[in-house]
Amino acid sequence: MTTPTTSPAAASGKAPKGRAPSSPLPTGRPRGGRSRIRRQLPVSPWLFAAPGLLVAGAFSLYPFLSTVANSFTDRRTLLPGRFVGLDNYREMLGDEMFWIGLRNSTLYVLGVVPALVVLPLLLALLVEKQIPGITFFRSAFYTPVVASIVVVGLIWVWLLDERGLVNSVLEVVGAGPVGFLSDQWLLLLSAMTVTVWKGLGYYMIIYLAALGNVPRELHEAASVDGAGPVRRFLTVTLPAVRSTMVLVAALSSVAAFKVFSEVYLMAGPGGGPAGEDTTLVMLVQRTGTGLSGRVGYSAAISVVVFAVTVALMLLVLRADRKEDA
Amino acid sequence: MRIPRRTARRTVATAAALAVVLPLSACGGASGGGGGADASGKVEGSITFQTWNLRANFKPYFTGLIAEFEKKHPGTEVKWVDQPAEGYADKLSADAAGGTLPDVVNVSPDLLAPLAKAGLALDLDQAAAKYEKEYLPGAWAGHRIPGLEGTYAFPWYLNTGPLFYNKRLFEEAGLDAEKPPTTYDELFEQSLRIAGKSKGRIATLASIPTIEDFGRYGVPLMNEEGTAFTFNDAKGVELLTRYKELYDAKALDPQALTATPESSGKKFLTQAVAMNPGSALDLEKFRKQAPALYENIGITEQISNTGKDNMYVMGVMVNARTEHTPAAVAFAHFVTDAPRQMEFAKQVAIFPSTAGSLDDPYFTKEDGTDATRVRIAAAESLKTAVNYTPVLMSEQMKTELRNAVARALQGKESPKEALDNAVKACNRLLKQS
Repeated sequence: MTTPTTSPAAASGKAPKGRAPSSPLPTGRPRGGRSRIRRQLPVSPWLFAAPGLLVAGAFSLYPFLSTVANSFTDRRTLLPGRFVGLDNYREMLGDEMFWIGLRNSTLYVLGVVPALVVLPLLLALLVEKQIPGITFFRSAFYTPVVASIVVVGLIWVWLLDERGLVNSVLEVVGAGPVGFLSDQWLLLLSAMTVTVWKGLGYYMIIYLAALGNVPRELHEAASVDGAGPVRRFLTVTLPAVRSTMVLVAALSSVAAFKVFSEVYLMAGPGGGPAGEDTTLVMLVQRTGTGLSGRVGYSAAISVVVFAVTVALMLLVLRADRKEDA
Repeated sequence: MRIPRRTARRTVATAAALAVVLPLSACGGASGGGGGADASGKVEGSITFQTWNLRANFKPYFTGLIAEFEKKHPGTEVKWVDQPAEGYADKLSADAAGGTLPDVVNVSPDLLAPLAKAGLALDLDQAAAKYEKEYLPGAWAGHRIPGLEGTYAFPWYLNTGPLFYNKRLFEEAGLDAEKPPTTYDELFEQSLRIAGKSKGRIATLASIPTIEDFGRYGVPLMNEEGTAFTFNDAKGVELLTRYKELYDAKALDPQALTATPESSGKKFLTQAVAMNPGSALDLEKFRKQAPALYENIGITEQISNTGKDNMYVMGVMVNARTEHTPAAVAFAHFVTDAPRQMEFAKQVAIFPSTAGSLDDPYFTKEDGTDATRVRIAAAESLKTAVNYTPVLMSEQMKTELRNAVARALQGKESPKEALDNAVKACNRLLKQS
């Protein structure tokens, strides 16, 4: 839906050429007019923003620029580095472990994001109802979100161990043991399951807020027209929470591409058998830390992670805009 | 007050350029060799001493030791900091890179190597050569770094461990529980027997071979100059081939490819595997946490084809950039001298690296307890033990080897291919270090 405009120029988003219309309100501008204002920046807003900008600069911008700069050096943790141009990026292209990391991080996005977009919505629909005791269920589903990822990882390792609870049950029915923690692909799938399980509650809360904003009259109108629950969900609820789904997709895809803890805890510091479950962020950690860390190379991988996450965000937002159009 | 837009733009551009350039300018530290500061001055000043996960259990020992040193050297003050075991290397690297490395630091030889290369460890051959004769020659030499002149840390405590085994599991497989394997051939043979008898339910080992295993098998790990790894020779390939047989027969736990020392220990505790390395401290853990295992526990020497056990070495280095070199050197020596090491050894299952200390009756006289039996056996084995881990082998190189071993065990590469690739990768990392 577009906002009604008063003139073709405004509707086209272009300002009319020529002299700007004078404002009917007193502006208190200094002499010299608009051109002078364009050349100068008022200080007061910057002073207000300064603390935030300083913090952001020190803890976000500087590390970011520093990482980009380091990616063009052969710097190590303790030894001096020198400018090596694109050598780190060239090395990365020939590094098998980089491609393994890129593959796993991408698979993680593909495996986790659809589940985290759909399942929390279904969960939110379940706990949305105002019935006695529903708060308990909402809290219960939210518990994994606040649980420490280390604790969560350990619990799942115990569950999925060759002699863990899951395999004990599978063995009773003659289907086990399954190598959840020893097979390359099952390990990745297990880690994805943990990510989804831990993220369900978080995104459920976001969806609950969105569902609360869906006008009740629309549901009532659809009911009057004879729409059943599924039809109402598809024609009323889903369009109403679509932008929230895009938000969840964007947030979860960035988080999934940057996955570290779940895989690290379940696959071990080596990244699973032969490092086959290594993700890109694990590779950043492995190559860049420690006394012999290759800071330059690790920084180059970080830059790639940054570029891909930005691309992912843009992709999701672009898809959203296309839907709007 | 208003800032002209051009000025604002320039300011932002300059800030951005500085942000890019400053990190590059930081890439200009010292390199190669340690400092050669004079340690002959007056012992005075305030120094910091960092230990590695020792405060929780040994606080009284260290506070007493520090008080004794301060009393002996009036005008000195020692501030003790302790770091947790987890991420110790990361903490050291952050301190070293940030210029906040303590004056006296507890290190292992592999952590010492990069610090010495960066010029952060004091060369004791220059600053404190007079103390060399107080230590076991092998222990002193253990803190020399190939490619660098000098010795970069005082030897501190040594450790080695027996191999624990589950007698019940050996008996169930029809093996003599009183005759556990001592060589790799015996180990492989008995492991296959246990796996066969239990139809793959009981593995004998829970972890894949590490560089120490290659060493104990008799594989040459590095060339003499310390410029290239050599563990891909015929013996190395043979060891890996035998391990693959174990893996295929489930005599090596299927989760061994992703195991950590902690997870392997837990498998042994739950009697899912028949053997696991450990130390005398583990006996108490078994007694408390797994009484059923404790009843059947067997203790034997490390498996070795060379006749020499693996030894872990701890050292105490002095920061080459300390402002109080005499005090730091004096304290590092004080912590590691014979009386202090002996006192420490009596509080925990470690062994002194000072000359003659292992002949003390504490390490030679039986009293009938298991703990003493383990201690005496370990002390005996230490006389010939070797630190098989090359000091130049970084964590990344260990990861390369671990991944290569896993690829071979899974059959993705032949043992020869896997080890050749690992050696190639490790040599590349060695050149870059």
